[in-house]
Amino acid sequence: MPAKFKGVMQSPVTPLKDDFSLDLPTFERLLDFHVRTGATAISWPHHKGESLNLTFAERKLFAEAAVGVVDGRIPVTIHVSALAVEDTMELARHAQKIGADGILAITPYFWAPSLEAIYVYFARLCSSVDIPVLSYNSPSYLAGVEITGELMSRLIERLPNFVGVKEASFNSEKFLEISRAALAMRPDFAMLTGVEYLLPSVPLGGVGSYSAAGSICPNLCTRLFDACIAGDWPRARELQSKISWLWLLFRDQYPSSLKGGMVMMGRPVGPTRAPLPTAAKERQAFIYGELERLGILATEPHGW
Amino acid sequence: MSTVELRLVHTPVTPFTREHAVDFERYGTLIEFHLRHGADALALPMHVGESVSLPDPERRALLEFAVQQVNGRKPIIAHVSESGTRMAAALARHAEAVGAAAITAAAPYYWTPPPAMLVKHFAEIGAAVGIPLFVYNAPDEMQGTRLNTDLCRKLIEHAPNFAGVVDLSLDWQFMIELMTDAPRLRPGFQLLAGTELMVSAAAIGATGMFAPLAGIAPRTVDELYRLCRDQKLFAARPVQERVAALRQAAKRSGVAGVKAAMRAMGRDCGDPRPPVLPLDPVAYQRLVAELDSIGALASEPRGW
Repeated sequence: MPAKFKGVMQSPVTPLKDDFSLDLPTFERLLDFHVRTGATAISWPHHKGESLNLTFAERKLFAEAAVGVVDGRIPVTIHVSALAVEDTMELARHAQKIGADGILAITPYFWAPSLEAIYVYFARLCSSVDIPVLSYNSPSYLAGVEITGELMSRLIERLPNFVGVKEASFNSEKFLEISRAALAMRPDFAMLTGVEYLLPSVPLGGVGSYSAAGSICPNLCTRLFDACIAGDWPRARELQSKISWLWLLFRDQYPSSLKGGMVMMGRPVGPTRAPLPTAAKERQAFIYGELERLGILATEPHGW
Repeated sequence: MSTVELRLVHTPVTPFTREHAVDFERYGTLIEFHLRHGADALALPMHVGESVSLPDPERRALLEFAVQQVNGRKPIIAHVSESGTRMAAALARHAEAVGAAAITAAAPYYWTPPPAMLVKHFAEIGAAVGIPLFVYNAPDEMQGTRLNTDLCRKLIEHAPNFAGVVDLSLDWQFMIELMTDAPRLRPGFQLLAGTELMVSAAAIGATGMFAPLAGIAPRTVDELYRLCRDQKLFAARPVQERVAALRQAAKRSGVAGVKAAMRAMGRDCGDPRPPVLPLDPVAYQRLVAELDSIGALASEPRGW
């Protein structure tokens, strides 16, 4: 079961019309683009998909669209994290009902929960559905709230459908603490990272990542993953370095800059909801220059 | 400008007598142990060598003793961190005068300096000597003060002998950015893992490692280093996981844990100096039991 979450998985942005309402036809095109350009799985809506700025009706509507458009070609997981835990539970049940292949959830927001509270939260979430659950560890965004190795062991021991983690500390020691605990108990547990940090994670047992730049440069993402799996480290270093430049470019007001870059790649997806800004024309032009400098325009698909 | 390529750098503890005086006789024995067990160089006294608990004359005497004991067989890197820039520069000059091959310096203690202050601090320390300067980047040991790539770029510009970074941030993005940038600006620029977590760093381009656990488990540390050096990163993973377990056990109580583990391995170097407290008997027994359970120590030398 867990083997399906690996490789460079794409978490699409959320296309919006000029009036900031959801743009369903463009979302469908984007999903199809990701499937055609090598995504190994789809996961929506990550923070990059403006999850927390969408209503629950909107999240459910697009979740259904994602499952429908992908139509079994690759797995689809739904990110169910919400400020209120009760909303998360509702989104999880909905994801299962519409036929999603799994759900993903971060440690609870805002409350700086204790390890015990995190344990209770994931135990409840995993028990509320039968489909696979992936957790999401992001200490730098959540003021140090994180999953420890010991917590990981307790969760895996108790929860048969807990199959993977998006480990986004981007830190060797934290990744190792979790991977040692998880892989000892469940060898096919999916150790995933974020932002295509494949070069440092694959040699530690990482099997893939959720992508940041896949809507800009899917070919580069796939080449990086292939180089890492093949153990071609000089090649992987070169590709990781290029992806790192892109991340520097996009993490500034993420995902606004990413959406701006998509305009330059011929795949416009509209503005970004406030309080996030929308990339202005000047920002887009700057991004265009960087994409040109990095050779992205020459090697990656333009348009849909 | 002299250069030195750092590979496997052991970082010895500082032995103390029962009365907390530096035990030079034991230090000589310890240095010989490190040289016999794979050290390509020694860095001393690092934080694990309780540098901050050594008054200035003692710190100088310790370095002079080490230089005499090693007698040119391997390079010695002198740790010169201080709160005040002039104090650190004075230690650096002394280190060069007595024959150290390089110096390493962390951010100034206590002041939580902004980047511009850091650049000036390191540049002045570098300017005090003609031997290479390796900046020691250890946010967890320095109240969160950390290097960033821009700062390193500026330091390359201002310090001709800035030869590399010893990284204990374990931060993937920083290491990737640094190794994308710095070697182009300064050919031969070196990244070293700041502790025995080398696999991800080696994937990114680290060529050396500081090894505070080498006094406890020199064979395992050596095996990890060699596999990383040879870019056999998949093969390095099980070794890395054993070392991570050892680090987790020993690190929990800092220098006291490392010294306790040294004692457990039959290489007693005394207790740490105040204010650091030694492990109490219960904690000591717990650590010994944990070390036994790791299995990594079965093949390690006992005694001197």
